[in-house]
Amino acid sequence: MVKAKRKPLEEIRDAIKSYKRVLTVGCGGCVSVCMAGGLKEVNTMNAELKQMFKEENIECSFDGFTVERQCNMEFLEDVADKVGKFDCLLSMACGAGVQYMSERYPDIPVFPAVNTVFIGVDKEIGVYEEKCRACGECVLGYTGGVCPVTRCAKGLFNGPCGGTNKGKCEVSSEVPCAWVTIYDRLKAQNRLDDILKIQQPMQWQNQVQRTIIQEPYKERYAKQD
Amino acid sequence: MAEQTTAPVNTDEIKSILDKHKDQVKLSLKLCAHCTLCAESCFLFHVKDKDPRYMPSHKFINSIGKLYKKKGNVSRKTLEEISEIVWRKCVLCTRCYCPFGIDIPKMIALARQICRSQGVVQQFDKE
Repeated sequence: MVKAKRKPLEEIRDAIKSYKRVLTVGCGGCVSVCMAGGLKEVNTMNAELKQMFKEENIECSFDGFTVERQCNMEFLEDVADKVGKFDCLLSMACGAGVQYMSERYPDIPVFPAVNTVFIGVDKEIGVYEEKCRACGECVLGYTGGVCPVTRCAKGLFNGPCGGTNKGKCEVSSEVPCAWVTIYDRLKAQNRLDDILKIQQPMQWQNQVQRTIIQEPYKERYAKQD
Repeated sequence: MAEQTTAPVNTDEIKSILDKHKDQVKLSLKLCAHCTLCAESCFLFHVKDKDPRYMPSHKFINSIGKLYKKKGNVSRKTLEEISEIVWRKCVLCTRCYCPFGIDIPKMIALARQICRSQGVVQQFDKE
């Protein structure tokens, strides 16, 4: 799932301090699961902001509401009857949610309260690790389920660079070399042939805003000529 | 796992939320013919070996349906049971299909909203 982390309170304060009535909108999706922007975090952040504004003599009132998901237009309607009563919205959703919220309510400023950090896994409660950069060209099939885009500092597709040193990466002696991990995994599975096939470089220059349409829906959404 | 709290349930607040959506909830409950077609569109129903408790119709009838029939006069225990349905048995993917046009995701979302209003929410910081 998408993992996010709350922005520093000072940064949020600077963004909203010129507004008198702020509605903090939480999201019941990924940011609730990673404890960055769900109902609880909305209440906690509002309490902290109230305290901070009081101490700094800034006049501002805060209210909170959590929608099911900010990445779905249907659920953004749940906050429609409240939006008009506020001067700005403070979204605790991921970047997708903040953008969709801004699209739905274009007349009111929407500010992000969290930084969207990565797609990752739950290591422990409150501890998350990046696993995917959503590059759109998944190579896990030939790398033994170890992502070279995420885990290799240089994102190399065809083996390690000259900086690999006793299984560690040159950027830090604590970071495992992704390609040593890939080699070990494939060797254990007797699949070393997989990394002898040269992979084409990633076409990073084509990274414009992406849209996907799943196969069964292609006909429905086919562009009319 | 739903949050444990002993605060009294504010039934007036629940009624007020229900009243705002009364017509749609009433019509949805009336329209459901228990045809089970919605079950076919629910991936969780299939993943859970077609456990009938995962049928979208079952989920909305036993969550918002229960709240509506009891006119919001429910105990905290009932809200916790409902929260198990609307959070643990539904991910609100909004993919469920009803041939009569019942907006099942909206019904589930409403039940979640009522649970939230009473502080009954999923705790992601607990095992």
